[in-house]
Amino acid sequence: MTLFPRVVNETTSRELRKTFRNPSEIFYPLIFFVLVLTMFPFSIPPVPGLFNSLASGILWTAALLAISLSLETLFKADYGSGALEVIYLSGADLVLVSIGKSLGHWIISGLPIALLAFPIGWALDLNFLTLWVLVLTLMLGSATMSLTGASISALTVGLRGGGFLLVMLTLPFFVPLLIFGSSAATNASLGIVPEAELYFLGGMFVLSLTVAPWATAHAIRIRLG
Amino acid sequence: MSPRKKKMLTLALAVAGLAIATALILTAFEKNLMYFYSPSEIAMGDAPENRPFRIGGMVVKGSVIREKDTLGVWFNLTDYTNERMVYYKGILPDLFREGQGIVAKGGLNETGLFVATEVLAKHDENYMPPEVADALKKSQKYQNSK
Amino acid sequence: MMNFLHKYASLRNFYFLSLRLSRWLVLPFVFTLVYGLIGALWIAPQDYQQGESFRIMYVHVPSAWLSMFVYMNMVGAAVLTLIWRVKLSEIVLRACAPLGAIFTFLALVTGSIWGKPMWGTWWVWDARLTSELLLLFIYFGIIALFHAIEDRRMAAKACALLTLVGAVNIPIIHYSVEWWSTLHQGPTVSKIGAPSIHIDMLIPLIVMSVSFTLYFIIMCLARIRIGIREYDKNSNWVKNLVTSTLQKEHSQ
Repeated sequence: MTLFPRVVNETTSRELRKTFRNPSEIFYPLIFFVLVLTMFPFSIPPVPGLFNSLASGILWTAALLAISLSLETLFKADYGSGALEVIYLSGADLVLVSIGKSLGHWIISGLPIALLAFPIGWALDLNFLTLWVLVLTLMLGSATMSLTGASISALTVGLRGGGFLLVMLTLPFFVPLLIFGSSAATNASLGIVPEAELYFLGGMFVLSLTVAPWATAHAIRIRLG
Repeated sequence: MSPRKKKMLTLALAVAGLAIATALILTAFEKNLMYFYSPSEIAMGDAPENRPFRIGGMVVKGSVIREKDTLGVWFNLTDYTNERMVYYKGILPDLFREGQGIVAKGGLNETGLFVATEVLAKHDENYMPPEVADALKKSQKYQNSK
Repeated sequence: MMNFLHKYASLRNFYFLSLRLSRWLVLPFVFTLVYGLIGALWIAPQDYQQGESFRIMYVHVPSAWLSMFVYMNMVGAAVLTLIWRVKLSEIVLRACAPLGAIFTFLALVTGSIWGKPMWGTWWVWDARLTSELLLLFIYFGIIALFHAIEDRRMAAKACALLTLVGAVNIPIIHYSVEWWSTLHQGPTVSKIGAPSIHIDMLIPLIVMSVSFTLYFIIMCLARIRIGIREYDKNSNWVKNLVTSTLQKEHSQ
């Protein structure tokens, strides 16, 4: 594959190999996602159809929380084992390493969640337009989260209370994605093709692809001193 | 790749990325991402049919009709080109009055009446004592009558 | 230029400079606060639309202005921290964050109190209010990150990066009222052209904004001095300073 520079390929495949050696980590975000979803029917008044009409917003919120939490794994193991330091000292381009890390993270967290949203949404009687829009916006949104979240994940790696801190720092930055992502799905459920929201999410994705890896590379440099 | 070439490529990619992102986001906002429409846009049929949206405009002077015994109220909103009739049942904010800019949330019914679920009064960025406001009004009338 | 920076960026020099500066600023602060309050509560006439309620503006507008001004200062300090590694700017960054959070909180609360009678609601999720709320969360995040990293210099660098990432929010707050049809009104003071605020109302607003800004500077300098003492706690001048203060207290 010559689509990406070699460093990106190698980092991504290393991330994937690491995860598949310890596959329980893929299931944590997915199980958390489903668990959060099942909390809502208990907390929402049992008005017929209410849960279904809120479904796309709830799916988006649950995905957002699951992905924010999973960002912690992005650098934790490599920081603990010293692998991150080796990568840093090897002189590899940290910007490309960051892109590879984010891509790997997206493949094991954002992508499966977005795909899982399809059968769940289907079971909740969402129409086909909504299902497609939901999967598409979740894919775009989670990719943006993997990219921007990586910088904050690198900043908070190895700190006490790291998980809480990470979620606290990332959520404000994810709010625009949540607003427009869930509004796209809500509109789709009313039969409107949400062009504006898709353009916005696309724009945010390209923006984060351009800017976030630099911030992540810098964050790694800061944390390794 | 020489370091110089690599630097140029990085810079070019960054500029291209920023340009594409800006173009996409601007396109999004041109398509009325906020679901806010003026009476003219509604008259042109831009407003969504089955989704709640917001309408903004000035309350037309002399158009406010209050229902007897209930909190219902009708009024016309204008953007000085088109008007749209609005119905709202509930307590209006203090600042609601004729000639005031307001924002209402709701949707159109079959007859084209905007049925609002929420009415918020938007106050302008002008602050002046009542006497000055009166004087301004008089001088405007004076100029208009000339 | 570098010489100048070096002289005033030296922690010791800045410490004593800031001490003198703070003493000079206390009087103007008290004066502008008293004059501003009198102007806001008595001299300014009622508004033609909002009656007496508009007077909350005299707390709301300065707080909102400072919530962004403090952040802009932090962005400046963050750049100095990351690019030129100025030690003083690390301390400034740390000193500013809680003050910014307080002003943002104040702006949100007073805005809410103003919104209830005027708009008819405590809160709307419009662009101005939402982005200001996000600013508060970003301040909280920066403060939390400062406390999470033990090494002060590393904490400052990490927070500087976070500050720069969060800076995208500032233009959004400022232009939100122009880009989107928000419920929040447009800018009054910075509007070019026809005066949109009566002079008797405008003067107290400016005086109050100056007063709040002076308060911020005085508080920030005090926090910076604490920071400098912590950074330089092993140096002789700080040790001497502490001993002489202790001696003074004991002799009294």
